[in-house]
Amino acid sequence: MAVSTGITSVGTAPEQYTRAMLNILEDFSEEKDRLVDTQRAVLNILEDIGSEKGRFEEIQRAVLNILEDFSSEKNRFEETQRAVLNILEDFDAERAKTEGANRDLREAFESLRRAKEAADAANRELEAFSYSVSHDLRAPLRAIDGFSLALVEDYRNLLDDRGCDYLQRVRTATQRMAQLIDDLLKLSRLTRGEVEFAEVDLSRMARGIAAELQKSQPGRRVTFRIDDGLTAWCDARLLKVVFENLLGNAWKFTGKKERATIVFGAMQAGGTFTYFVRDDGAGFDMAFSDKLFTTFHRLHLEKEFPGTGIGLSIVQRIIRRHGGNVWAEGEVERGATIYFTLNPHQGAES
Amino acid sequence: MTSKRAILLIEDNPDDEELTRRAFKASNISNRLIVARDGAEAIDFLSAAGAFAGRGAEDDPCLVLLDLKLPKIGGLEVLQKMRANPRTRTTPVVVLTSSTEEQDVIRSYGLGANSYIRKPVDFTQFMEAVRILGLYWMVLNEPFPYPHA
Repeated sequence: MAVSTGITSVGTAPEQYTRAMLNILEDFSEEKDRLVDTQRAVLNILEDIGSEKGRFEEIQRAVLNILEDFSSEKNRFEETQRAVLNILEDFDAERAKTEGANRDLREAFESLRRAKEAADAANRELEAFSYSVSHDLRAPLRAIDGFSLALVEDYRNLLDDRGCDYLQRVRTATQRMAQLIDDLLKLSRLTRGEVEFAEVDLSRMARGIAAELQKSQPGRRVTFRIDDGLTAWCDARLLKVVFENLLGNAWKFTGKKERATIVFGAMQAGGTFTYFVRDDGAGFDMAFSDKLFTTFHRLHLEKEFPGTGIGLSIVQRIIRRHGGNVWAEGEVERGATIYFTLNPHQGAES
Repeated sequence: MTSKRAILLIEDNPDDEELTRRAFKASNISNRLIVARDGAEAIDFLSAAGAFAGRGAEDDPCLVLLDLKLPKIGGLEVLQKMRANPRTRTTPVVVLTSSTEEQDVIRSYGLGANSYIRKPVDFTQFMEAVRILGLYWMVLNEPFPYPHA
């Protein structure tokens, strides 16, 4: 009812159909236009695709090339892999060896540590021993000397000359013993403490000691010939002791000469310096040259040349602590030369 | 001389004691010599304690001669205790010993010793050392003005 009412209100039926038809046609024509557009777009796309296809083929070729390359890379990679595996295998064997070496090294370190501990303990003991010697051995000597003098002073009238002479001998021996104790302590002190390495001007050091010696006996005619610019990597404090002893000996053993010459110089061979102190004094018989460095061993009589025989042992100990060597050449009444080396590499890294 | 107050010798060796007396006599040092034969005895004496409880202040020494190597309590500890005690804080202490071990010299001065002398083995030299020491501390040196500073 409602429809018929609607149609009725719009118009007559054929008119309505025609208009509807026209509408449809109109719509269709629009659709057709759109279709043409679409068709054109598709054609465009197809065209584009055509050129894309060219590019695609290029890409495909490129990819194929890459794949080809990749395949040879892969071969190479496999070779590399094999090589790496071999290396790893070798490495395993090496590692086993290294571990063994490490174990050996650890053991060596351990035994070194134990040796150092033992040496430290020995040093501590030596220190305690020296301390005790320094205190306890001197006290009885003081009593012997003191009471000998008291006897001479207070009981002079009860002693004849021989008695007094004997007491004087007691005192002389006592003081010599005191000197020996002091020298021994000096020697033992040299084994304590670290060796402190530095660049040291030996020429300058020798000149200073020579000047002191000349000042101590200004009447003597001794020429010092000291080479310039001799330096060494060593402990300055210890080398000063070496020079005091070597130049002091040269000074002492030229004491009976009218004129004397004392030389400090060096020779170089294969990068190693050999230093020497030479004098033209009393000298010594080469047959005893090995005894020269023995503690308290002397080649001269005390009354000729005083001393306890400690100097060259001290020198030897110091030179050895530097990794060097010391030896002597001489001839009776024609002088002596003491040579020494200092290991230049020891301590150089530190 | 400063009113002849006593000198305290801390020394365990009877030979050294006798030789020191002899040297004092030779140098005309007439102060009374009191001897303590170990460190413990010395500390008791100086602080008027133990066996010396109640001793008079007139026995306070004007000079202490101290050996380092002593039985019971060592010389360095005696020195340390002396410097910690107001009664002996300013008393002159001369270390008179056998050694010149560097560590002994360093520690002695560190703990407040006034002087350090190594006893020479040669008795002639020892007497000379005692003479100079007596002259210096008994005659030349002006002591601290109050006994118990």
